[in-house]
Amino acid sequence: MRKRRKLLWQLYPSYLIIIVVSLTAMAMYASRTLRVEGYERVVESLKVQADIVEQLVAGRLSPERAAEIDALLKQLGRKISTRITVAMPSGQPVGDSQEDPARMDNHAVRFEVKEALAGKTGIATRYSVTLNANVVYVAVPVMIDGRLAGIVRTGMSVSAMRSTLLTIYEEIFAGGLVIVLLAAIIGFYASRKISRPITELKRGAIRFADGDLHYRLDVPNSEELAALAEAMNAMASQLHARITTITQQRNELEAVLSGMVEAVLVIDAHENIRSVNEAAEKLFQIDSSKVKGRKVQEAIRNTDLRRFVTETLLREEPLEGDIVILGDPEKFLQAHSAILRDADGNTVSALVVLNDVTRLKALENIRRDFVANVSHELKTPITSIKGFLETLREGALKDPEHAERFLDIIIKHTDRLTAIVDDLLSLSRIERDAEKGEIALQEGRIAEVVDAVGRVCRKRAQLKNINLECDADDTIVAQINVTLLEQAIVNLVDNAVKYSEPGQTVLVRAEKTPEEIVIKVVDEGCGIPRDHLERIFERFYRVDKARSRKVGGTGLGLAIVKHIVSAHGGRITVESSLGRGSTFSIFLPIAE
Amino acid sequence: MRVKLQRDIEKLKTRVLALSTSVEERFRLAVKSIECRDAELAREVIEGDIEIDHAEVDLEEECLKILALHQPVADHLRYIIAILKMNNDLERIGDLAVNIAERAERVAGQAEMRVPFDYFTMCQKTGDMLKKSLDSLVNMDLHLAYEVCAQDDDVDFMKNVMQAQFAEEMRKDQVHVEAMINLFLVSRHLERIADHATNIAEDVIYMITGEIHRHRGADYA
Repeated sequence: MRKRRKLLWQLYPSYLIIIVVSLTAMAMYASRTLRVEGYERVVESLKVQADIVEQLVAGRLSPERAAEIDALLKQLGRKISTRITVAMPSGQPVGDSQEDPARMDNHAVRFEVKEALAGKTGIATRYSVTLNANVVYVAVPVMIDGRLAGIVRTGMSVSAMRSTLLTIYEEIFAGGLVIVLLAAIIGFYASRKISRPITELKRGAIRFADGDLHYRLDVPNSEELAALAEAMNAMASQLHARITTITQQRNELEAVLSGMVEAVLVIDAHENIRSVNEAAEKLFQIDSSKVKGRKVQEAIRNTDLRRFVTETLLREEPLEGDIVILGDPEKFLQAHSAILRDADGNTVSALVVLNDVTRLKALENIRRDFVANVSHELKTPITSIKGFLETLREGALKDPEHAERFLDIIIKHTDRLTAIVDDLLSLSRIERDAEKGEIALQEGRIAEVVDAVGRVCRKRAQLKNINLECDADDTIVAQINVTLLEQAIVNLVDNAVKYSEPGQTVLVRAEKTPEEIVIKVVDEGCGIPRDHLERIFERFYRVDKARSRKVGGTGLGLAIVKHIVSAHGGRITVESSLGRGSTFSIFLPIAE
Repeated sequence: MRVKLQRDIEKLKTRVLALSTSVEERFRLAVKSIECRDAELAREVIEGDIEIDHAEVDLEEECLKILALHQPVADHLRYIIAILKMNNDLERIGDLAVNIAERAERVAGQAEMRVPFDYFTMCQKTGDMLKKSLDSLVNMDLHLAYEVCAQDDDVDFMKNVMQAQFAEEMRKDQVHVEAMINLFLVSRHLERIADHATNIAEDVIYMITGEIHRHRGADYA
């Protein structure tokens, strides 16, 4: 690249060159004129002097009176610096103002003398050995009665003239130098005056480029630059306005994206991740800054998702699909994709929106199972009752031994139905009261509740030879509804007893942690398989349908417990391992 | 030529990732099938294995093609050799997942029984090792790979403890011997899967450092 120079250094030298060239030209012209003029003046004056001398010597011009002429010339020569020579038509000098004419050569061959002898005025410049200098000679003929009587020659050294000229040259040079210096200084300031506003504009433009769009340029005086500065200021303010708009729009978009419940992934045509939103980060447990630019399958190891993305990019059209994330817990996603294209219609990236439908799916399961279970639970006793009643009517009534047994069975099933209906009623009552906030909570001691539970359940436990231990800190106090909480714990202990083997222990323990109160019911029974744990609090949900009906129960016990606990503002959890037993924990908030 | 090699290796990497992803998922499904005694899910895992087998063969052919065409050297060569070995391990893990699913199929048909101990922790630990070994492959994470190697001992230990427990339990409970044997086999499969995960981690170490990390010192005695 060619080296760039500052504007100042482009303007200023041309100024300087113009000044120097014009001054030099002027000086040269002036000196030439002076020199020519001076020469002509010298010649003129020499001619005048020659004419005067001619008048003086005209009468005496003859070789006999040579001494007289010479003396006259010597006298004149002392007064003026001009050298005067008078010669005969033969060219032989007869008098000279400075030399002895007798010792001088014949002058007839000299150019100016030759001219004068021809009757004209002769002018010549030549080096004179006599004077040891350049000399200008003017020779005029001396005419007496139309006859050439001799010539008069005047000569003057040029060095005298040159010294005069030199003085003038020196003055011109000095003057020129002063002018050049002055012009240089003025030119420098003038150039700077032009280039400085441009530098200012440049500085402003750099600040704009750096993003400082609030900066405003000073408007310079010159019209063009002022227009430029104003245009740049306008540009900056418009840019600022646009950038503000764009930033705002981007922020809005980002807020929308990050606020979305659905996970959003943007994937380019090479299956690299361009961006992910917060929901996606949470769903796949990835870090958006780490996965950006990496392949989808590197960042998220999921075959379904990989296939979905590949297919979307391959088919270049929006797709819908289901994606399962294996793991603990399993997640079901509904995926939608869209293709993003650039201005030329080429596929640039794919947008994948993932909707977590795990909960929906679970709810759907609950609903489906609920309907099936509830009809099953109600239907079984009714079928039995109806069957035995029909048998009785068809003759068994007359067989007292069987009839009594059948009636017992009918009563048992009726009790079961009653129990189910009772439980359903109490469940719906708790639910309704809790919704309306009508469940009365009073400060009560947990130990009292636990003791009551112990009294109620001890008998049943002893019947099965199960050891029931109650352990509650007397000081724990909470906002509770004693009746309901007792019912909840009784339900849990009942279950624990039911699923325990003889000789095992069921433990009820209440403790206080800094955050909350925990009531635990621990058994050593058969445990609950892991995949059922989440669902056992659903109504009518059975882990093992055949078995749990055999041990009794309505299928609503745990549902009631859950509702009671949530009416207390608490929560319930369960931990279990197969063959080792289960632990149900009720967490209640500490009374303020 | 080098550019082409680079591109082929990129493609190879994509395939390894796809294979490892589906192997990991098969493993999880198999474990789930045994936990939930879900015969249907187990069948699905068993039938899906053919896909993994095909992927393994494809991957091997791809590796051989690169070796033959480009004759790679230095780290490219190391990478491909490591992937060849990893490919084997992944396929074996897929097979073991099928074995577990087969056990699950058996167990599902039998009466529920009291499991004398919690092999769930072992499943989790093995799954964790497999995940970490694949993560170390994806991220070329040396640290994670070493972690996997260290974890292998835990799983071995768990298997040994379980073996003793099984023996004891079988002496006591004659009724469930068959189910016990099935579960015992599952623990062996899990242990083998953990071994293969360790192999993968060692291959990752080889890929990164060029050092063969197998059979090192007292750790592996």
